[in-house]
Amino acid sequence: MLRIFKLLLPAIIPSWRFFDVIAASPRIQYVLLNKQSENLSEWQEYTARLRQLNPITILKRLFWNPHWNEYLFLVSCAERIIANQNLSSGVIDNHHSEIEILKRIYRALFSHKNSFDDKGLYLQFRLLIVNRENTQTPVEVIFYSSAKSLTELQCQHGI
Amino acid sequence: MEFEQAYRLTQILTSLAFIQQSIEHIRLYRNEIIIFSSRIIFSLILLSGLYTGISLIALFIIALLLLVRFQGPYNGGADRMSLLVLCCLCLVQILPDRHWQEVAFGYLALQLVLSYFIAGWVKVINPEWRNGQALSDVFGFSVYPVSESLRRLSSSHHLLVVFSWLVILFELLFPLSLLFQQSLILALACAAIFHFSNACFFGLNRFLWIWIAAFPSILWLQDRLVQHL
Repeated sequence: MLRIFKLLLPAIIPSWRFFDVIAASPRIQYVLLNKQSENLSEWQEYTARLRQLNPITILKRLFWNPHWNEYLFLVSCAERIIANQNLSSGVIDNHHSEIEILKRIYRALFSHKNSFDDKGLYLQFRLLIVNRENTQTPVEVIFYSSAKSLTELQCQHGI
Repeated sequence: MEFEQAYRLTQILTSLAFIQQSIEHIRLYRNEIIIFSSRIIFSLILLSGLYTGISLIALFIIALLLLVRFQGPYNGGADRMSLLVLCCLCLVQILPDRHWQEVAFGYLALQLVLSYFIAGWVKVINPEWRNGQALSDVFGFSVYPVSESLRRLSSSHHLLVVFSWLVILFELLFPLSLLFQQSLILALACAAIFHFSNACFFGLNRFLWIWIAAFPSILWLQDRLVQHL
């Protein structure tokens, strides 16, 4: 009950400090692994950002924008993990944010497959930071997730 | 605008905003279908004007479940505003006395004004907003620009300084628009254009619809304050 109240309070008494400081920004990269250790591919950036958008698509997105909103949610999860990393004390629980990011990357990659063939594979992501000095190439890796089996992600998390 | 008229209009606009938000979720995950389908059903009931009390309470319970499900708002400020609007609508529904109903609805209007004024204040005290650097950073490396081509705007220094100050001045001066109904309507039109721009540049479409849903409350409050002066 206290947890719900703590989640509700910022909505009832909002701070409204939109874009007060433009802090370093997280990027999410993922990789497919074999047996939780061996990289099967290069780290790839996970993003919903396209190279270019035409005006018609932009107008359509006023009403239908699920992938971009999901991407912003994953950025929020990444920011929660980073905030936890910066805590000097206390119990750090990133489980919810980690699973949300992993299962949504999984769905983006494999949603077209009804049954997954490569049952031995694992998915892992890492978080990098981009700032004013490094806008093109994020250099600082600040978090590695645990590697989750694709089968587990498919079965346990309702994808 | 009369209280009943503004309250009902807020219900209608909120239910439409909730339907738009919920439809976006339906196709994503099996385990989210039930909760977002329920949200759509109760939003439709609210939209119809029948059983508004029951539908508002049900939508509030669903909102709490979603807070727990996502361990916070799914869509940041837009979800916080959605919850605030919903809380105020629920309070108006359950409070027995007209005076306290007006206080609850007035609180929504006050928060709407603060949402612009505080956002403007935190920008104007930041030198990086005043010299255009902050907006350049938003386009340059933040996660918000919806396309890579928009990142090029980060080097348009003079344009960004102008836009930074337009945003700052609009947000800071918004409370003054309450002095006259015409100025408030003009300010709300500017606000809608501002949210529309944010939706186009940064993909923040949910902000547009839920902030517009709160507009009737400020139109009513301005009318109410003028009557008292």
